[in-house]
Amino acid sequence: MAEFNTSVKEQGKISIVNLNGFLDAHTASTLENTFSSLVDNNKFNIVVNFKDLSYISSAGLGVFMAFIEKVRENGGDIKLSAMSEKVFNIFDLLGFPLLYEIFNTEGEAIKKFEEKK
Amino acid sequence: MRLNLLTFFKNIKLKTFLGVAGILFLYKVFIAPVKTLPGQIFGDILVLLTVTSLVIYFIEYLSNKTLNPLSLVMNLGIINVILFCLITFSGSLFNMFFDNVTENIQNPGFMLSIVMFSYSFLVLASIAYIFLVFKELYFLKQKKNVSVYFNTMIVFIILASLTYFIKDYPEYSFIKNTFLFISILLIVINSLKISWIAFLVKKEKISLLILSVVISILFVVNLINNSSTGLHDKILMQFSPALDQFSNIIMIYGAIYFSILFFTTLFHLPTAEAFDRKAQEVSSLQYFSKLITQVLDFNDLAETITDIATKVCNAQASWIFLKEENELKTLANKNIGLLDANLINHFIDRREKSAKRIGTFIIKLNRFGEIEKLSEKYSTLAVAPLIAHKELKGYLVSANKEGYVFDDEDKSALDTFSDYASVAIENSRLLEESIEKERLEKELDVAREIQRKILPAKTPALDMLSISSVFIPAFEVGGDYYDFFEISKNKFGFIIADVSGKGISAAFVMAELKGIFESLTKTFDRPKEILVKANQILQKTLDRKTFVSAAFGLIDMKKGSLNISRAGHCPVILLRDGIVENMKPVGIGLGLNFGKTFSESLEEIEIKLKEDDLIILYTDGITEAKNSELEDFGDSLFEKTLLQFMDEEPDVIANKVITEITDFTKNNSQHDDITLVIFKWKQKIKFNGEMEWQNLTHQSKNRVK
Repeated sequence: MAEFNTSVKEQGKISIVNLNGFLDAHTASTLENTFSSLVDNNKFNIVVNFKDLSYISSAGLGVFMAFIEKVRENGGDIKLSAMSEKVFNIFDLLGFPLLYEIFNTEGEAIKKFEEKK
Repeated sequence: MRLNLLTFFKNIKLKTFLGVAGILFLYKVFIAPVKTLPGQIFGDILVLLTVTSLVIYFIEYLSNKTLNPLSLVMNLGIINVILFCLITFSGSLFNMFFDNVTENIQNPGFMLSIVMFSYSFLVLASIAYIFLVFKELYFLKQKKNVSVYFNTMIVFIILASLTYFIKDYPEYSFIKNTFLFISILLIVINSLKISWIAFLVKKEKISLLILSVVISILFVVNLINNSSTGLHDKILMQFSPALDQFSNIIMIYGAIYFSILFFTTLFHLPTAEAFDRKAQEVSSLQYFSKLITQVLDFNDLAETITDIATKVCNAQASWIFLKEENELKTLANKNIGLLDANLINHFIDRREKSAKRIGTFIIKLNRFGEIEKLSEKYSTLAVAPLIAHKELKGYLVSANKEGYVFDDEDKSALDTFSDYASVAIENSRLLEESIEKERLEKELDVAREIQRKILPAKTPALDMLSISSVFIPAFEVGGDYYDFFEISKNKFGFIIADVSGKGISAAFVMAELKGIFESLTKTFDRPKEILVKANQILQKTLDRKTFVSAAFGLIDMKKGSLNISRAGHCPVILLRDGIVENMKPVGIGLGLNFGKTFSESLEEIEIKLKEDDLIILYTDGITEAKNSELEDFGDSLFEKTLLQFMDEEPDVIANKVITEITDFTKNNSQHDDITLVIFKWKQKIKFNGEMEWQNLTHQSKNRVK
């Protein structure tokens, strides 16, 4: 089975989550754990970097839906960035651009958070 | 039948005893006072017969019980105390109730005769019981058949008893002396057969040591009292010289036996502990086999393992410590708190990260930094790695408090045991896994069955639309759903959807979707309206992680038009005049947003259909079908295939697409459901000539009119 892992990097009040590998029904729990620990630690400003993600399935998309409400209730947001064209198409088909802010680079997403303050 | 026979035999033994005792009673009370030599010998034989029948009856009685040597010895002690009391106080008691007993003994009155008989009989019964206990002790834990020694001894004891009367004839007394001597010799020899004490644990040996001193002293005292010329001796001699001698011999036996027992036990005591441990190891071998039967329940197994671990290495506490994905888990902690065990686990884990050792090892806790945090002062650990498939799964830990150490034997015992424990744990885990796997497979069977029942059994036959649909389920049930709705005479609706997630939960959402769209199409026919309503209904049941991509289309036969709304689904393909058009009206997936964003953003497009237009619905199972290099089948290959066969009927096109996908993926397994629905618009049929008209069905003729 294909591998998937995440790494979290703190930059000021923003948490940057790097995704790596295949995100599907079998690996979605890894990302879920990452998000829960961020939320549990009151880190609601989250930028997700998709640069190293090669595939995402519907179950993977579901993880973002599971946390967005809680994050936004707490004044934060999950911003998505650096998607490959293929991954973006999947998000796009489902209408995610209407629900999430998607940026070309991680930097733009961080900048957006900083502008807000 | 057999049971009856058995009780019958039992009765016979009791009856024999009662019979013999009765004869003895009659003889002693009514005839014996007249003393003649043959009469006396007859009396002696009668007495010994009574003893024999009583012993036989006792054997029967004892055989129903499991014999513990210590309780047998205790019995002996009690009987001895009774005998002691009888012998010591008989004189004064008799004198209290009867006058001049000593003088009248040769010629007692009727009452005295009966009392004397009862007294003697009590002694007889006690002696018989003592004899029986000796017999049981003798045969205890004897492996070889040694009954010949014992039987010889019995013969000589009987001979010595029967010839006791000869003491009145000094010139022949060598006969009885010889028998007595041989008897005592045999007694000494037989008293050496006391291997049973080796099987006692140390504690039992200590109590046996004390008991044997007390009992051998009691025997000696009773022997002296018995043979001294007190009233007791006189009564017994009067009753039967043989019984008198028999009881003497039994007491000699007791004195010798228990003296030997005392010394042997004394010498066994220093090695008792080592012997105990060996015995423990042997019995823990029995536990090992118990492990095998307990693999069905992992927690029970863990409990048993720690329980045995404390026994095999004489530890005060034991627990299992499993390493699972960097998590240290304490299991089945025995005699130790969970917090203490967890603290020690971290200590072991830190130490063992650097030192990879094989086999059991001993750790002293004096270098343990957090030793102050432990609620109990543990000082030493014996740690056995649990290894399965050459991989370290955890440790079996035993701990001792200050003042107790683990020696090499403890270490090797734990080492051996941990090997068994590892195997048992691994087996239990594998079993659990296979049960879980079977459960999942059953669950997936159910999910596939639900899916099969939900999807349309056949495609509708319509005049102006030829339809083909292909559905290939993935092993894990991908949650694809499609359906057709003949809304009215001229309106035909269709849906294609993909539920996020897999398995039974996806199958349930599919079932719900079918219900929702079946009912919505009864009332509404605008695709946008239907999807907005469906989203509202789903809000109540979908969990936050689950969503549904869907596309709903409506074909108006009369107008020759197609309306489509798309809620996050793959584009609907319109293939017209050799050009592939991906129709992708804006829309968010069902369940992703329940607010205005969903309804406001959702578009509905309308297109006028042209002759031979192909409308193609699909799920991402097609475009994301992967080959062994994990490359996607992709949009371009899909479109290329469609273009290549666009002039064919929908059935043929669908078939070709599936063949292409199969060729592409080769042997790589299918991860997601594959759904492909193709419509071809055939409006022309209306304006065709007489030939087609003839071929139309009755129903469609009506429709055309």
